Amino acid sequence: MRMTLAVAVVAAGLLTGVAQLHAHHAFAAEFDVNRPLTLKGTLVKWEMVNPHSWFHIDIKDKDGKVSTWMVEGGSPNQLIRMGVTKNTVPVGTELVVEGYQAKDGTQKAVGRNFVLADGKRLFLGGSAGGVSDPAKVK
Amino acid sequence: MRGGAVALVLAFAATISIAGQSQTTAKPAAAKAAPASAAAGKAYKAPRTPDGQPDLQGFWTNSTYVPLQRPNGVTKEIYTPDEAEAAIKAAAERESEQTEPGTTADVHYDFTQFGLDRSQSTFARNLRTSLIVDPADGKIPPVNAAGQKRQQERAAARKAAGGQYDAVENMPIGSRCIIMGGAGPPLMNAGYNANYQIVQAPGYVMILTEMIHDARIIPLDGRAQQPTGVKQWVGLSRGHWEGDTLVVETMNFNGKNAFQGSSDNLKVTERFTRTADDAISYRFTVEDPQTWDRPWTAEAPLAKTEGPIFEFACHETNYGIANILAGARADEKKAAEQKKGSN
Repeated sequence: MRMTLAVAVVAAGLLTGVAQLHAHHAFAAEFDVNRPLTLKGTLVKWEMVNPHSWFHIDIKDKDGKVSTWMVEGGSPNQLIRMGVTKNTVPVGTELVVEGYQAKDGTQKAVGRNFVLADGKRLFLGGSAGGVSDPAKVK
Repeated sequence: MRGGAVALVLAFAATISIAGQSQTTAKPAAAKAAPASAAAGKAYKAPRTPDGQPDLQGFWTNSTYVPLQRPNGVTKEIYTPDEAEAAIKAAAERESEQTEPGTTADVHYDFTQFGLDRSQSTFARNLRTSLIVDPADGKIPPVNAAGQKRQQERAAARKAAGGQYDAVENMPIGSRCIIMGGAGPPLMNAGYNANYQIVQAPGYVMILTEMIHDARIIPLDGRAQQPTGVKQWVGLSRGHWEGDTLVVETMNFNGKNAFQGSSDNLKVTERFTRTADDAISYRFTVEDPQTWDRPWTAEAPLAKTEGPIFEFACHETNYGIANILAGARADEKKAAEQKKGSN
C-alpha cells in the first residue's frame, strides 16, 4: 500500500498543501510523530460526530488485560451522505489501526490507516470512487 | 480599472460560451466534461418562487479543484476540457496518495477512508485555471503599505500571545469551532463538506453553510446598511435583485476572520445567478482599500448536490482542543526536564 520512497517524498510535499487546506486542527500538535503504533482490537463505540469521529477500541494486552483506546478519524458527514450508518462498522468489529499516539502519552491516537481483520483497508464510503483507491493511482 | 472591467466582461462571456460548469459525482478520471451550448445558457430562465423571486433554493456545493489563484507557470485563463480533466485527475491523485510513515504529514487520518477527498463527492466543474477572473493574471493584487503594516502588527500580536498551541485563544478560529474560513462571505470551498443550502422567503434569503453550521440571513427589503460599529464574524449582509441576479453586499466584519489578510473595512459583493437547473453562477468582488489598491473578483460556480445538510455540531467531539493543550503541557514538561538534566 505504501509507495516507494522517492515517490512518497514528493507526494508528502504536495499532500502537505492539501492537508493544510483540509485540516480542521493541527494533528501534529495533538499526536506525536515519534510515537507510531499499531492497535489491534474490537470496536466498542463509534462517535459519528463532528468535527472528527472517534473510534473507541478495546485492546487486550499480552496478559489478557483489556483497556480502551480512543482513535480520531474524519468528519462523518460525507459518509452519512454516502449511506454509511453505525451499522456499517458495527460494535464488535475487529480492527487494526495504524496511527500515532497522543503527545501526552494517554490512550488516544490518530487513525492513519484503518484495516479490517481480513486485511482489507477500510473504505467507510464503500467503493471509494475512481482514483481514491491507492491501488489505482499510477 | 477600465481595463480590468473589460477583461472581466470578456472572461464572463468566455465562460458562458464554453460552459465552465456542470456537476459530476466521483470518478473524475472517467467523467467527461459536458459543456452546455451557448444557446442553452442564454435560453435558460430560472424557475420562480411562489412570491415571484428567481428560485435559487436547494442544496449546492462549491467544491472544486480550481485554485483561487492561477498557478505559476500557467498563462492561459481557460483550459480546454481535456486540459481541465487532466488537472482534475492529477489533483485527485495527489489527494489520494499515501503519506510517508514517520513524517508530520502522516500524522493525520486519511481523507479517502472517510469519503472526504473531493473526488468522492459532487464538485463544481470549471474550465478556469483560477477562480480569480480580475485582475487578468488570476492573482490577488499586491498587498499595499497599509495592509503590510497590519499584517506585521497581527503577526507581532500573535507572537506576544505565545505559541499557537499554548492556549486555546491562540488557536485558529476554525479549530475552536467558531467559524471556518470558507463560511464567508465570500463563499470559499471548505476542502470537504463544502455544501450550502439556500432557502428563500418573502423578503429574505438564507444561506446555510455546512462547515460549523452557520446560517446567514440576508434581508432584501432595502433597509439601510448598519452603523459601522456593529461588527460580526460574518459581517452584515444586505441583498437586492438586479434582474435575475441576487446581489448581496456585506460589510461590518469584525476583522478576526480576515479574508486573505483583509481589514475589518472589507466589503464583499456577491452575485448569484441561476444558469441551469443544476448550476448557479457565483461571483464575488472584494474591496478593501486598506489592504489592496484595487478591487478583485473571482468566480466559483455552485453545482447542485444532494441534501440534506447534516448538522455539523462542531463542539460535540472537539476533543482535539483539549488533547492539543495536553500535548503542549507534555512538551513543556519534557523541555523543563531536559533543561534540568543539562544543568
